Amino acid sequence: MNDWQRKSPLDWETYVNKMVKVAAIEKHEYEGWVLTVDPVSASIVLATFLENEKVSISVVLGHAVQEVEILKEGDDEMKQRLSCIFAPEESKAYSTEEEEKRKNALKTWLETNHIPVTEQGESGRTLCVAGVLTIDPPYGPEECSSSNEIILSRVQGLIQGYLEKQQ
Amino acid sequence: ATMPVLVPVGVLRLPRGPDGCSRGFSPTSPRFQALLGGDMVVAQGVRAALRQRYLRGLAAARGRPTRFCLRAGVQVDAVFGAADVEAVAFQVDALRTPLGVQAAALLRCADVLAYSFLL
Repeated sequence: MNDWQRKSPLDWETYVNKMVKVAAIEKHEYEGWVLTVDPVSASIVLATFLENEKVSISVVLGHAVQEVEILKEGDDEMKQRLSCIFAPEESKAYSTEEEEKRKNALKTWLETNHIPVTEQGESGRTLCVAGVLTIDPPYGPEECSSSNEIILSRVQGLIQGYLEKQQ
Repeated sequence: ATMPVLVPVGVLRLPRGPDGCSRGFSPTSPRFQALLGGDMVVAQGVRAALRQRYLRGLAAARGRPTRFCLRAGVQVDAVFGAADVEAVAFQVDALRTPLGVQAAALLRCADVLAYSFLL
């Protein structure tokens, strides 16, 4: 384990949204905006904006990192841009009312099937099922998140069936 | 002699354990707070946020042509498949090697210095 891998999450967080130069073993160097540092492997995820509107993502594995130098700090616009890079694609854009209707319909259906569900997050757009799984808009199987694979798989299946019946 | 009729016993299902969470432990329980509270709780929140972004990054990489930079200046191209939980290996498809294209392969994380792909 090297010094970089030994840092705490709070330390790693200080590099996020900054432009850095990473010196790696075997004299490799990488430059880019830090999107995140994986707490498990201490790998640094860098983004470089190319001329053709494409983004190049480079991941430097934690065990290969020798030194990380902060070159500059990202402004609010850059932070916003970086936070959107991995955001799940919105395949269909629903209006706020449609989204609210979908949310309420799903919530009602879950409650009818005796599945505890609450609303949470800013403006209550996220559904929380049994305290262990969240569903973001637009409330399809792909928008389910949970740390329990079994519950995730079950609920995704339920929602898939529910949406198919709606068609 | 006849067999006694078995009376089904009602099953009492308790929805929650004594600590309220019934999953084993709760990070807000007095025991957890006494042992590891305060800084650890904040660090855990940051850890979770960093990890979630990383996992979304892995999901974005899936199916994309990726260049892997290995040790001793070796570079290989492949299609990103998956990474495992403990960061032991990467699974890739269509790995181009000097001996030909491997349909599926595992690359050890210890052998990989860096990898990159286009979004």
